[in-house]
Amino acid sequence: MRPQLYWLQAGGCGGDTMSMLNADSPNIVEAKSSLDLDVLYHPSFSALTLADQLRLVDDLISGSRRLDILCVEGAVIRGPDNSGMFDTFDGRAKKDLIRRLAEKAGLILAIGTCAAFGGVSRACEVDAVGLQFSGKEPGGFLGENFRTRDNLPVINLPGCPVHPMVIIGTLSAFSVGNHLELNERNAPLEYYNMLVHQGCTRNEYHEYQIEETDFGQKGCLFFHMGCQGPLAHGPCNKFLWNNRSCKTRSGVPCFGCTEPDFPQDTPFFETPNIVGLPINLPDGVDRPHYLAYKGMAAAAAPERLKHRMPKV
Amino acid sequence: MSENSKKTIQVPINRVEGDLVLNIEYEDGVVTNAWSRGIMYRGFENMLKGRGARDGLVLTPRVCGICGTAHLLAAAKALDMICAAPLPANAVLVRNLTLMAEHVQSDLRHGVLMFMQDFLNPSYADLPLYREAVERYETFKGRSVIGTIRMTKKILEIVAILGGQWPNSSFMVPGGVASVPTFNDIVSCKYIIGLFITWYEEQILGCSITRWQEVESEQDLQEWMNEKESHRNSDLGFYIRFAHLIGLGNLGRGHGNFLSFGQLDLPDGTAVRGRSSAYRLFAPGFISGGASVAFDQNAISEHVAYSHFEDYPGGRHPYEGLTRPSVSPYEIIKYSFCKAPRYTNLPAETGPLAQMLTNAQSLFRDLVGRSGPNAYIRELARLVRPAELLPVMKAWAEEIDPAAPFYTPVPEIPDGRGHGLTDASRGALGHWLEVRNQEIFHYQIITPTAWNGSPRDHNGVRGPWEEALIGTPVPDPENPVEIGHVIRSFDACQVCSVHLVRNHKR
Repeated sequence: MRPQLYWLQAGGCGGDTMSMLNADSPNIVEAKSSLDLDVLYHPSFSALTLADQLRLVDDLISGSRRLDILCVEGAVIRGPDNSGMFDTFDGRAKKDLIRRLAEKAGLILAIGTCAAFGGVSRACEVDAVGLQFSGKEPGGFLGENFRTRDNLPVINLPGCPVHPMVIIGTLSAFSVGNHLELNERNAPLEYYNMLVHQGCTRNEYHEYQIEETDFGQKGCLFFHMGCQGPLAHGPCNKFLWNNRSCKTRSGVPCFGCTEPDFPQDTPFFETPNIVGLPINLPDGVDRPHYLAYKGMAAAAAPERLKHRMPKV
Repeated sequence: MSENSKKTIQVPINRVEGDLVLNIEYEDGVVTNAWSRGIMYRGFENMLKGRGARDGLVLTPRVCGICGTAHLLAAAKALDMICAAPLPANAVLVRNLTLMAEHVQSDLRHGVLMFMQDFLNPSYADLPLYREAVERYETFKGRSVIGTIRMTKKILEIVAILGGQWPNSSFMVPGGVASVPTFNDIVSCKYIIGLFITWYEEQILGCSITRWQEVESEQDLQEWMNEKESHRNSDLGFYIRFAHLIGLGNLGRGHGNFLSFGQLDLPDGTAVRGRSSAYRLFAPGFISGGASVAFDQNAISEHVAYSHFEDYPGGRHPYEGLTRPSVSPYEIIKYSFCKAPRYTNLPAETGPLAQMLTNAQSLFRDLVGRSGPNAYIRELARLVRPAELLPVMKAWAEEIDPAAPFYTPVPEIPDGRGHGLTDASRGALGHWLEVRNQEIFHYQIITPTAWNGSPRDHNGVRGPWEEALIGTPVPDPENPVEIGHVIRSFDACQVCSVHLVRNHKR
C-alpha cells in the first residue's frame, strides 16, 4: 500500500517547503517516486479545490481514509486566549485540525524548528508551541505522553529551515521500517548527534584559538562572533546547503537554529563571555581543562593560520 | 449584502505562501465586491523590539521562506543607513547577485509550479490545449515542472556559494557582507549563471535572451510568436497561447496604480547602466493614472481602519507605525490583520509589472497602454523578468574582485533611524528601523503582499487585488478558477504579511 502523506502548514514562513525544493539526489520528484508516496495534500503544490480538500480532511479524520504520514510545518498557534484564531482553516482554529489529524496519523514529522519546539513563532506574541515540545520543555501542543497510531512520539526534525536531506532520509528510513534512534528531544541521532562545528572548514582555526572579532575574515567565529556551531546539533557541515556551503563556511556565525531555545534571547553576532572566554562552552566540555587547552593551543598556533593563509 | 440577488462565497486560495481567504460578493455571475483576509497573525515586529541591533538580519529573513534574501537586504540597508557605512563594490555585487538569484528562482517557481497549475483546473478539461498543459504542469510530474525544480535549485546555489545557504542566511551585514568569496567561488557562480541562461532560453523563452529583448511592443510579440515553432512551444509561448484561449487578459484590471521601490544599487565602477537611474539598475517610482511621480518614502503610510489593530486616525508613516493587535469577537468592521499601506494615500500594486512600468520598459508600457493592466500581463512580466536579470548577473559576476575587500568595519551600531527599501521578488519591500542603546527600539516592515493584498483604507478604498477582482466572472461558485488567476497574478504571499488576521465569518 502506498504511504499516504498529508502536509500541513501552520505558524511559520513556509521556508521548510522552499528548502525541500532544493533537495538534490534525490530531488523531491525523485524522492516521492522512489518512496512511492501518495501526497494527498501539500499547500504549495496541490491543485485540490477547497471542497475536495475539506472532503479529504473529513475522510482522514473519520478514518475512512488512512493517514500514514502527517508532516506539520510551522508552530501550533494557540492565541489569542487559547482560541487558536490567529491561525485558522475554513473558519476554525487550525490547532484543532492538527490535533484531530494527529490522532489518526501513523507517523508525524515536525518539519523545522517551529513545528518541533515553537521556534521563531514561539518568540512572537501569538502563544505558539511545538507539537510535543515548547522550547526545551516536553509537552508542547500534543502533550508529553502523546503517541501516534503506530505508538511513536512526534519525530522532530528541527532546523530553520530543516535540511531537505533530513526530511527525505527520515522518510526513507521509516518507509523500510527503520525506526531511527532518537535523542532526548525526539530528533533522529542519525542527523542530530553531530554538531554544526564538526566538519566546519574553520575548525583548524578553532583548534589554535585563532578567533575573529569582526566579519570578513577566515578564522573561527566561536569566541566573539556568536557562533553556536560547537553547541548546535545538526548536519550543516556534513550535508552542506544547496550542495555548496553553509553559514559557518561563509563567514556567518551559526545561530543555533536547530536548538529548542532558538531564537535565543541574547543578541546574535555576539558571544556572551567572561574574560574573553565564551560562557557557553562546546557541548559537554569541562571549563578548567578547556581553559588550559586553549592557552596552550594559542601558543602553538602556526604562522600560516595566524596570517589566515588557507583559502578555505 | 442585503439584496437577495447578491450572493457571497468564501474562496480560500491555496498554493500561496501562508493562508488567505477572500470574501466575494457576486451578482449575476460577476464579482461585485471583495474583501481580502489573511488568516494568520504572527506578530513579528513586536518580537523584534528590545532585541540586539543586528538581530533583524537573522530574524526578518524568517518572515518569508521564499524571499528571505530580500528581507536580509532590507534589514542590512536600514542598518547601513544608521551606520552611514560605505560599501565596497564587492559587497554590492554579492548582495545584488544573491538577490537576483532569489528573484529568478521565485519568478519561475511561481510561474511554472504555482500559476500554471491552474491551467489544469477541471473547468479547462475540454480545451484543446488541456492535454499539453497536463504534460507540462502536472504536480511532481509535468516536464516543465521537473525542469523548473532542477534549475531553480541550481541558481540558488549562488546564494549558498556567496552567503552560506538559501533560504535563511544572514551574510549581509552593515558595511558589506560577512563572506569572503574566493576566485573559485566566483568561477562556480559564473558557470551556474551560464548553465541557467542556456536552460532559460531553451525551456522558458524558446529563443535567445537577445532575441527576446527585441520584443518591444504587442506587435513585436505577435511577430515573435509567429516566427518560430520554438517560440510557440516554449513555456512562454504556451502561456501566451493558453492565456488567450481562456481570456486571462480580461481579468484582474485593478486601480492602475503602480509602485516600485527600485532595486539593485549600482556598485562603484560597474559597466552596467541603470534602466532609468544613475544609482540603481531599476529606479523606484510611482505611477497613478498613467502619470509618473518621483518617489519619496515619506509619502508611505499605513492605515488600520479595517485591520485588526487599535485604531488611529488616517495613516501613519512606518517610522511612527503602531502594531497593536486588537481582536474582538463582536467586530464587524475590521476584517484583516494586514494593515493597509498607501502611497500618497492611494493603494498601489507592486511586483514585476510595476517594476517594468516605473522603468518605462517598452513592451510592458505598450501592453498596458493598449489594454490596461490585467492578470495576463502581470504574470507575463514575471515570466520574462529573468531575461532582464540574467545578463546583468553574468556581467556582475565578472566584476567581483576576490583580492579587494567585501566589508568595511562597522564597530558599533549608533543610535538612529534607518530604512532599507528594495523590490523583493513580488514587489516593494521596506524595513523601517530605529536603534537606541544597541537595541531595536522600533521595527516596521511593509511587504509586497501587504501592498497588493491590503484591506480597505481609512477612506474605504479597496486594496489592489480586492479592486482587481471587481468584474471577475464566476461561472461556477464551487470552482472559482478565475478568482485564483487574478490573485495569483499578484503572486500572493501571505506569510510575508507579517501581521495578518483572524478569521471572521462575515
